[in-house]
Amino acid sequence: MDRWFLIAATALAAIGGGWGMVSVHRGQRSRVTVVWMLFVLVCQFGFLSLRGQVRGSCPLHDPGEILAYLAWAVTIFYLVVGSAYRLSLLGVFSAPLVVVLQLGALGFVAVEAPPHRIPETSAFHALHSSAAVLAYGALGLAAISGVMFLTLNHQLKEQVLRSGLFRNMPPAHSLLVSLERMLWVGTGLLTLGVLAGVFMGPAEHSPGHFFAAIAVWTAYVGLLVFKTFRGMTGRKLALASVAIFVVSLLLFFSV
Amino acid sequence: MELFCLGLNHRTAPVEVREKFAVGTPRLGQASADLVELAGAAEVVIVSTCNRTEYYLAAPDAGQALEILERRLLEREKLDGATSSHFYRKTKADAAVHLCRVVSGLDSMMLGETEIFGQVKQAYHAAHAAGTTGGILNRLFQRAFGVGKKVRTETSIQEGATSVGNVAVDLAEKIFGHLKDSQVMILGAGEMCRITAQSLVSRGARSIFVTNRSFDRAVELATEMGGTAVKFDDWEQVLEKVDVVISSTGAPHALILREHVEKVRRARKYRPLFFIDIAVPRDIHPAVAEIEEVYLYDIDKLEHLANEGRARRQLQIEHCDQIIRDELGKLNLPGLGG
Repeated sequence: MDRWFLIAATALAAIGGGWGMVSVHRGQRSRVTVVWMLFVLVCQFGFLSLRGQVRGSCPLHDPGEILAYLAWAVTIFYLVVGSAYRLSLLGVFSAPLVVVLQLGALGFVAVEAPPHRIPETSAFHALHSSAAVLAYGALGLAAISGVMFLTLNHQLKEQVLRSGLFRNMPPAHSLLVSLERMLWVGTGLLTLGVLAGVFMGPAEHSPGHFFAAIAVWTAYVGLLVFKTFRGMTGRKLALASVAIFVVSLLLFFSV
Repeated sequence: MELFCLGLNHRTAPVEVREKFAVGTPRLGQASADLVELAGAAEVVIVSTCNRTEYYLAAPDAGQALEILERRLLEREKLDGATSSHFYRKTKADAAVHLCRVVSGLDSMMLGETEIFGQVKQAYHAAHAAGTTGGILNRLFQRAFGVGKKVRTETSIQEGATSVGNVAVDLAEKIFGHLKDSQVMILGAGEMCRITAQSLVSRGARSIFVTNRSFDRAVELATEMGGTAVKFDDWEQVLEKVDVVISSTGAPHALILREHVEKVRRARKYRPLFFIDIAVPRDIHPAVAEIEEVYLYDIDKLEHLANEGRARRQLQIEHCDQIIRDELGKLNLPGLGG
């Protein structure tokens, strides 16, 4: 049953994203993507709550659950930030990421089904896992804003201004503001996750995982410090946020 | 009772003729009342803007009333018969279609402009308040406003910028969003700079710095814009804080070079900088555009974008006319028969 919720969420995100892309291609703003994403969120809740009940803990115990949780975090941050008029196009860019993450989750879930019950874990462990994945939701959305900014920036610099995508894009300034806010929120949650990781003790995590977390945290904090005190171009900020997000995802799944 | 319209506009009459017939907004109601007497018509609405003056009337015999109105208007303005060649005359259904086209911006100098809708509405309200409208013109104008709204919502007749100034403003909004927090520097105090800066101010830009080789002219333009005049030698310091630069100085060579912008990047914390170069020869060296956070648009590109916008609107005309025909066809408006 849990799988069906995830399949439904993936299908809904694919339809919402596809519909949005077609609308944008026609030069119109998609007003329904946000509604589709709301349904996606409901299905994601269904999946995560069923898995949570079976596990008897926060459903973050296999890569599939982590990816599904991450997709949920991206969706919820999009609904908080992107449903505003100027950033509504964020949904069109978020939906494909949600689809990719959930397709990955479906692959893993297929292997992991049915999930086994988890013996009691410490509160720090639960806090570490949930804060870290929520952080990745925000950082994922920052990366999506970064991709949108890079697309718009390229169009403005090269003076290619005819496409429906250009007409529907939010202003470059709004994208950078959204990107930076998401970086602050994500880095804050990541800090919480790392601190919880420190307190949960060495028995509950591998050293590789711990050092990877510290490296990623340092990269994001460094980026924000650099941006705040020295300043940097929108393009560099966007590129850095996309690069750190992708590299850190790969890093965590390899350790 | 028949509907008719007598008018002249920017296409049929030069400004020296148009100004003779222009009616100021506060006088529209009284002028409509005067015309009822002058033309012996039952209903009158006068629409008067900088580009047109049109008289919409309802009278028992449109042909006869048109003749009387035209003759008396020329007599009143002490003009000879040759001036009548500047008038256009529309009767019955043609007059209704014409009004709908005017309200929809299809007859405007800038195709699809929206200001005319409000101007016609104001003219109608003035006539209505003066008691010069009745069953025919009331229904016609109400219908025309409905059609005008439908044309604007169902077509893209008002989309896209069609002038250099508006293209520049649209681009500035695409970069900075709301312009109320944007600071603008104007290099040169010529007409093109003034028009472009006015477009930015009309969309919210507040902080304007004007610099010019002749400081007096900079002060003049700054006063007009509600901005600050800056000595020409100090423009590099202002570059540090502004977001948009409009340049049209008439200098024989590029004035803003890459090194000028490179010098202020750090102080600006690498914020986006939008250059609008409307000078020929260009004031801003093309190498400036290679800087990451710089967006540089010259007059050719802006003109090209404005032309594209105009062409896109032209393509919409047929669709708009079809909507007007369909909408007028749905109603059996009085005064259009025969």
